Amino acid sequence: MEITEINNANNIFQETSLCYQCAKCSGGCPVAEEMDVYPHQVIHLVSLGLEERVLDTRTIWICTNCYACSVKCPNDINITGIMNNLKEKAIEKDVKPKVPEVYKFHKVFANDVFRRGKAHEFRIMGEYNLYTKDPFKNVSLGPKMLLKHKLKILPPRPVKGFSKWVSSLIEDKNYMPK
Amino acid sequence: MSIQDKKVALYPGCSLETSSSHYLKSLEKVFEILEIDYSIMEDWSCCGATSVKSLYQDLNLALNLRNLSVAEEQGIEELVVPCASCYQRLATTEYDLLQDKEKLEELTKDTGYKYEGKVKVRNILDFFVNIIGLDRIAEKVTHPLSEMVIACYYGCLNTRVPREHTFDVTEYPMSMDKLMQTLGAKTIDWSYKTECCGASLFLTKGSIWEKLVGKILKDASLRNADCVAVSCPMCQTNLDTKQSHVRDKYQIEESVPIPFISQLMGLAFGCKPEKLGLNMNFESMKSLD
Repeated sequence: MEITEINNANNIFQETSLCYQCAKCSGGCPVAEEMDVYPHQVIHLVSLGLEERVLDTRTIWICTNCYACSVKCPNDINITGIMNNLKEKAIEKDVKPKVPEVYKFHKVFANDVFRRGKAHEFRIMGEYNLYTKDPFKNVSLGPKMLLKHKLKILPPRPVKGFSKWVSSLIEDKNYMPK
Repeated sequence: MSIQDKKVALYPGCSLETSSSHYLKSLEKVFEILEIDYSIMEDWSCCGATSVKSLYQDLNLALNLRNLSVAEEQGIEELVVPCASCYQRLATTEYDLLQDKEKLEELTKDTGYKYEGKVKVRNILDFFVNIIGLDRIAEKVTHPLSEMVIACYYGCLNTRVPREHTFDVTEYPMSMDKLMQTLGAKTIDWSYKTECCGASLFLTKGSIWEKLVGKILKDASLRNADCVAVSCPMCQTNLDTKQSHVRDKYQIEESVPIPFISQLMGLAFGCKPEKLGLNMNFESMKSLD
């Protein structure tokens, strides 16, 4: 697999133009049956310059990021990387995420990491459950995990200087376009 | 040059400090028995996992560049990574950045972190099998797992890295199988070794998540595996904590314990289960009851 996650619109286009539609990516995808547009179709649309059409699909948000497609591609197209790129682009262009809960979870998780440099699972679960307006969603799971010491109520010690560093990337250097 | 001439450090990642502290505990025990000279990396930060790279490509690169740079600064030559997700992030970013010098330069300017490529990001399976070596591990086995039939589950991210980082066959790896055989166990041939367990959908899309977990557990169970061994903390939590719910739905009769490779190594080395954090696993190992 040639992973090229450093992408901009031009090299996504270049990469997808190598696709000859063998559809191995869709055949090997563990969640293809949940998608509205199959991975090989996403690549086809992007290579035709019709990227706009895939930004509001379930597909880009349902993708589990397992890279099964990327390692199967005979032309070394990093399909998973492209799926992520399309998610970022959808947000930039104000296209409402088709599977909002997945978007929300990623956002909660990322913001938590940016806060102190390490993920605090307890808070991530809590904050996500609040968003779903179903705080009892995993109600049997939380206490069980606490009892087994699999969740810690107190956050991890912050990484020194981390949050200031990330803030400067986000605020001064535009690392979070939206 | 033997491995012990190199500076070895463990990158724990967020999970090993919280939900999978039993992984860290058992790894530390096993490292001690194998007399591995190592330290825990200092000043590490989160790799960003699936979430950061899903939404913010440049921040994903920045986060991983930071870790590589900090490790290089500390003179670490072998950075051993137990979590498959952290491993895939670190290894992939390293490859990406070394390929694209222009991007690396731009990131260095923005982030203040430079990286010259001196750190070897090492998967834990690769470390045990190819660096420490099966002979050295075999020498420490005092309680062979000869009664045990193990389904080795690699999950998606352990082997899905750029070619330069590959240490095993992507589609049908065998390194964990060899490691478990060295402990005296039998391993099975099965269909879900590298299928995604859907950990990233654990909280968000229950209906999809349970299908993915159900298929893995069902196959292991039909092939009479006593347990499913894992080396990834995401896989462990995902296959273990809500298993009873999935078993009912997919008619899986018996509990399928999900031990970490290091917990099984510890057992074969004669450690007591509580020293390996086995009390933290939801589904307990039958042989220990």
